[in-house]
Amino acid sequence: MPLTATEPHTFSRRGFLTALGGIATLPAFSRSPLAESLLERKDGEDAVLFASAYRNSNGDFGVGLLDDYGQILARITLPGRGHGIAVSPDGQRFVAFARRPGTFALFVQPFQDFEPSVIVSEPGRHFYGHGCFSADGRLLYAVENDFGAARGVVGVYDVSGQLPKRIGEFSSYGLGPHDLALTSDGRTLVIANGGIETHPDKGREKLNLAAMAPSIAFVDAQTGDLARQHELDNSLHQLSLRHMALDGKGRAWVGGQYEGPASDVPPLVAVFAPDEAPYMTEMPASFAGKLNNYIGSVTASISGDVIATSAPRGGRTLFWDAGTGGFLGAQVIPDGCGVAPIDQGSFLISDGNGGLSFVNEPDVPAEILARPPGFSWDNHMVAFSQA
Amino acid sequence: MKNLILGIAAIFLAVPSQAADFNAPLESIIAGYFRPATADFAESAGILPTAVSAICTETTEASVLGFQTAFSKTIRDFSRIQFLRFGPLLEDDRLSRLSFRPDPRGRAQKQIRKLYAAADNSVLSPVSLGKKSVAVQSLTALELIAFDKDAKIVLGNNSDIKDYTCGYALAIAQNVSKIARDTSADWADPHGYSKLLLSAGPDNDRYRTSKEAIEDVFNSLATGITITKDQDILPAMGKSKDKTKPNRFPFSRSGNAVVYLTGELAGINDALSSMDLKPLMSSDDQWTLDTLGFEFKNARNYLDALNPPVRKTFGENGGYNQVAALLITLSSIRELMTQGVAGGLGLAGGFNALDGD
Repeated sequence: MPLTATEPHTFSRRGFLTALGGIATLPAFSRSPLAESLLERKDGEDAVLFASAYRNSNGDFGVGLLDDYGQILARITLPGRGHGIAVSPDGQRFVAFARRPGTFALFVQPFQDFEPSVIVSEPGRHFYGHGCFSADGRLLYAVENDFGAARGVVGVYDVSGQLPKRIGEFSSYGLGPHDLALTSDGRTLVIANGGIETHPDKGREKLNLAAMAPSIAFVDAQTGDLARQHELDNSLHQLSLRHMALDGKGRAWVGGQYEGPASDVPPLVAVFAPDEAPYMTEMPASFAGKLNNYIGSVTASISGDVIATSAPRGGRTLFWDAGTGGFLGAQVIPDGCGVAPIDQGSFLISDGNGGLSFVNEPDVPAEILARPPGFSWDNHMVAFSQA
Repeated sequence: MKNLILGIAAIFLAVPSQAADFNAPLESIIAGYFRPATADFAESAGILPTAVSAICTETTEASVLGFQTAFSKTIRDFSRIQFLRFGPLLEDDRLSRLSFRPDPRGRAQKQIRKLYAAADNSVLSPVSLGKKSVAVQSLTALELIAFDKDAKIVLGNNSDIKDYTCGYALAIAQNVSKIARDTSADWADPHGYSKLLLSAGPDNDRYRTSKEAIEDVFNSLATGITITKDQDILPAMGKSKDKTKPNRFPFSRSGNAVVYLTGELAGINDALSSMDLKPLMSSDDQWTLDTLGFEFKNARNYLDALNPPVRKTFGENGGYNQVAALLITLSSIRELMTQGVAGGLGLAGGFNALDGD
């Protein structure tokens, strides 16, 4: 069963590579030998691009820019392990965040001849690994830890100029905000508060598992005021609500990571809307105990009709019908975690063994497009959408 | 050698904070597999340029057979090391320049057509070829220009593209030969990557512990099984028994699909065996190694029962059923490796699975 019909997005690849030629001389930015062959492609072959953090076999970290064949066009080195990537609405800029408790984010304008600039988190704050742009692309919202006060905040950055500038922050209304997304009308930020307290002095240690209270907060993007907040039933208070995607109707699909006993079999994917009670999806019984109670990333198809949730510890990626909340099928992809939409209803899934798999139908084996040797793709992959 | 291994083990065991030491199996796999297997590949690839020259000088029964044999042996010996997705084979994009796979959308074929259309002379010397797209440099490219789709050798055939094809084929063969030689030399170098693997510690930027080093090695073996199963075999199975795509088997164009698949699995099995992991595992876990050995034999039997060239015979004589059974065996092998052996040794698995966020 195809997920839906396909119509690829287009993107000016030639413009991208021409610009990249100038940037390639910078130490942080290097063009792949494969790009040469891509320059030979005709303009009509332009297609969507992808970005993902990686670790390579030398142990170095970076961000890779990929084409829709899964070939690496360019690499940007990072000072440490990366995590999520926020892409501006016009697809011309992106910000690659450090993995928590990292303190850097890289602001990149890949089509302009500007060196990537590093954003360093404020004293007393660190990044959690995700962020998003405002609807007009002028602001960047980043989830951060105010670890002195043990509270989550959203840092607000002006990214309209060449250098990003932090202009303020507001509460995330919970602990350990991990992911956030902007609704399509641009007015509401949806924040997934994972509920877990950490402190950089204690690395990645989880400090409050017994008392954790994850939540989804709907926040006015302009004022930072809380509009609505939902928590799960108390029996699921140890289901850390972490990664998120908005479906075509603006509901937040959230993948959880369960911190309770390993023998428990809680639901792992929940759907939230401001004025509805949380909906817990049901997966087939055959998956019980096979996903290690861990969802790694959540992505909506371009149309918003299909949701993909990866479970790297179970080596499976699950697909859901956004309209009915029903389970559509699953793919077995060892260590698969990053998921990006490709074409109208398909997905590109990246894995820790370098693989990039194209999934068009949930019940037909994925087509492995490429496996760049020596690359371990990190948790998340994004597609560059076109304005 | 044995004394050296024992010596190294003793040094590490003497350090109280040191966790389980894996230098002995690392030393064994370097000496017992990486070095001889890459040397074998260098030797067979070294014959390829001569074989190309011979068939291009005069197409005789002997020169055709010579090229066919040289190509097949090169594929065989390459298949035994292709899982080495770390160290020397990754230097200078060597692995991608040896084999551009997977390529489900036929990018190499498209690029090669463009080279021919433009009569691009830069592919006629190994040095300028080495600067082209990796898709047109490799054994997969040589197979595309030297064989037709029915596994018949066209290299050396009289036609108006003979000289171009011969020049291009020779440049590929020389490049492949050089990459194979360099890879072997780098593994043989006692101060090269093998030293990095064997000198884990606080001064080693790559590997802080021998466990980290063997995890890299072991994960590449497990990934090798995933590649054979999901990347090399599954696409050929198609959606059903009557919709198979045997052309998707690797190196099936030259009739070497079974050679390649057999070499992939034999390489991983031999590499695994060379480490002699049993003494490092508890008696409760040692059975996984025996079962693995048994499953590798099963896999070999399924492949031996196929009748090459698979492009012609896959639908006959139960070929499909043999490969369907092989896929189940490969799932079992992967699970035994990642759960059984890696679990028994306390090794960490996938990058995302291990340490997500």
